[in-house]
Amino acid sequence: MFEFLTHSRLPPLTDPHKTIVVTGVGVVSPYGIGLDSMQAGMLSGKSCLQPAKDDVYPGFTGTIAQVRALPPLEEYSNPQYSRTDQLAVMAAQDAMASSGCNRSALLDAGIVMASTLGGLTEIDTSIAKDPAAWYRRPGGLLRAASYPFAHVADAVGEHFGIRGPRCAISVACASGAMAIALAANMLLDGAAPIVLAGGCDPLCPFTVSGFNSLQALDPNPCTPFDQNRKGLNLGEGSAVLILETLAAATARNANVLAVLRGWAMTNDAFHPTAPQKEGSGLADCIRLSMEMAEVSGDDIGYVNAHGTGTPLNDSAEAQAYETAFRGRKLPIPISSTKSYFGHCLGAAGALEAAITIMAIRAGALIPTLRLATPIETPGVDWLRGEVKRQPLPLAMSASSGFGGSNTVLIFESGQA
Amino acid sequence: MTSHLSSVTITGIGSVSPHGPLAGLIPSAPLEPTAISAWTTPGPRRAFLVPPFRPADVVPGVKTRRLDRLSVWALVASSLAIKDAGIDLNQVDRSRVAVVFATAFGCVELTEAFYLSAAANGWNGTDPITFPETLASAPTSHVAMFHQLRGPNITVSNKYFSGESAMIQAASLLRHGQADLAIVLAGDALARTLYSWYEEANLLSPSCLNSDPVPEAGGFIPSEGVAALVMESSTRPSTRSYARIGPARWSSGGQPAGGISQMLGSSMPSFIICSGNGAPCATSPTAALAREIAGDGAIVIEPKSLAQGLAGTGALFHLILGLSSKPGSQPIGKEALFLATARDNGFAAMLLELP
Repeated sequence: MFEFLTHSRLPPLTDPHKTIVVTGVGVVSPYGIGLDSMQAGMLSGKSCLQPAKDDVYPGFTGTIAQVRALPPLEEYSNPQYSRTDQLAVMAAQDAMASSGCNRSALLDAGIVMASTLGGLTEIDTSIAKDPAAWYRRPGGLLRAASYPFAHVADAVGEHFGIRGPRCAISVACASGAMAIALAANMLLDGAAPIVLAGGCDPLCPFTVSGFNSLQALDPNPCTPFDQNRKGLNLGEGSAVLILETLAAATARNANVLAVLRGWAMTNDAFHPTAPQKEGSGLADCIRLSMEMAEVSGDDIGYVNAHGTGTPLNDSAEAQAYETAFRGRKLPIPISSTKSYFGHCLGAAGALEAAITIMAIRAGALIPTLRLATPIETPGVDWLRGEVKRQPLPLAMSASSGFGGSNTVLIFESGQA
Repeated sequence: MTSHLSSVTITGIGSVSPHGPLAGLIPSAPLEPTAISAWTTPGPRRAFLVPPFRPADVVPGVKTRRLDRLSVWALVASSLAIKDAGIDLNQVDRSRVAVVFATAFGCVELTEAFYLSAAANGWNGTDPITFPETLASAPTSHVAMFHQLRGPNITVSNKYFSGESAMIQAASLLRHGQADLAIVLAGDALARTLYSWYEEANLLSPSCLNSDPVPEAGGFIPSEGVAALVMESSTRPSTRSYARIGPARWSSGGQPAGGISQMLGSSMPSFIICSGNGAPCATSPTAALAREIAGDGAIVIEPKSLAQGLAGTGALFHLILGLSSKPGSQPIGKEALFLATARDNGFAAMLLELP
């Protein structure tokens, strides 16, 4: 009954109650709201990276990608909503529209939302000097209430009246992908009939300053996986996927956008900021995700890499791919889409999951922008230049973060 | 909906709390809030504070320089829980060990420090060493680095049920074979900005402002600390079981009594450990719900002030203190219910099988 989802080369998905599918994708990116606007922008090769022009804080003149052209934020306004919350709510609303789910169908839905920032956007430096005075400012207590990162999950839940199990996660730059992996576990547990999962993070002086202090930023548009890469650019956005079991999706006649065929999480256990030099943690994560998906390296048609553009990340990541895909018949096509709108931190993994699904559905291998001299990596086809059009039944999204967290998601086309 | 989380056993407990660093259960000694001296307060202010200690005296070899106290306590509590479980990590496949940490506020002390450096030097002059230590996930990754644990490394938060969420997520990893062993931690550290927030929002118990005991007519006494559990899938031989985790159910709304009764099925635990958040213990809605579910004959362990003071992350302390309060003389049966409510904001319930 469900074999229509299985491509001839892949092992069949036999249990619809244990098959996790994506039935909605919501996106807020520097291209605008919706997967369509992001797809149009990326497939046309448009970069959203721009000079900062003091937008973030006075004196910062790096390159960023901002979310612009949003509908009036008042539509989503709540006194306790931070900008992070607003991004999350917008992406969730877009995902719900994409899935055809109304609010009543989502009453008992689970929510797993990721953010590294929470409500830090609402706080300024003076809080640390005299917190009591800061809270006594008009709206101070309400603004502070959005500070815990759990608030992004609460914002989504309370805005839409969703009352299933709810949690937020924060695992640095792997957050958005890990939210999706944990949501899949929740579905396998039967903890909720359907789950909204994703990540959100806005640009914020706190993080821009932090990455700037680490000298991790490229002042110009970043060049992931290039031998001359100089660092990352920060962006902002959010993405939310609607996940459910294939059985549930079939029962409500939902449009299956993709199958989440495999997922895995590992940790490097190496360093607070640097990845393990050989990328062993990520390589293990890729291997585990393929084991869960019951696929081999030859089955993966494309990898949306973490690819920040920092010297250490990209070097370790390249070695991880060399290790994980060793023995593959053809070089594995890989790109970093952070070259289009920067690194969106807690949103990155969810946005890149959305991009991976988009690539599968469009049959498009999306290149890394500005990639002139790729890192020499045996067994890797670093995508650059034009978009390659070809059927893409199975693709992978890889995410890593500070503290050594890795998450890998494998998506399969929902259409045979 | 119900999560069927059988076959997972709690085999080790560690904590850093106002009782100090401890392996195993926490002796039920009376505890009084102590005066805050780490920052200037407008008058005497009190809380349940972790007494100063040298981490290396408890965990030989641990290096904690420039870490947030939350990271330090996570390192110590995890080490004590592993020791309590009798686990030699050299005999364990460390790629199969997960760390799941629940926190409401993360590394708030170093976040304050980062803001202070920005205030003093401008955003272009902040401290690069402090920045990564401000991440909420920093304690989780430090636990992984110190113990060389390469399995899933997850930091979770929920306004009311962070600790319960961490336990359920960890049990899920074990049940689905994504790990063989999990270190589950939950806690927070008090800092000036956090305490001021509670005070300005009028959330504090009068006991925080008076050295004489004040009946808890309202508010709560802020607390700090980190509790840790070792959870193992039951296929592994283990030397000790504090409890086996059965079905669990959690929600952000709805009517708890019906849902919990459905989860319990034919089980009728007569020993109930109450968790909760934000309500004075004397008026705990969780205890009232416990009696509604299990009847007046049940032994109900009310939420403890120490754990109640950890906003949303007190669950592990509630559980440990509840297990520590298990009556030795009264028969309580084999099953216990670990129960948390947050009025209209949901509930979390977990059936436990006691040894």
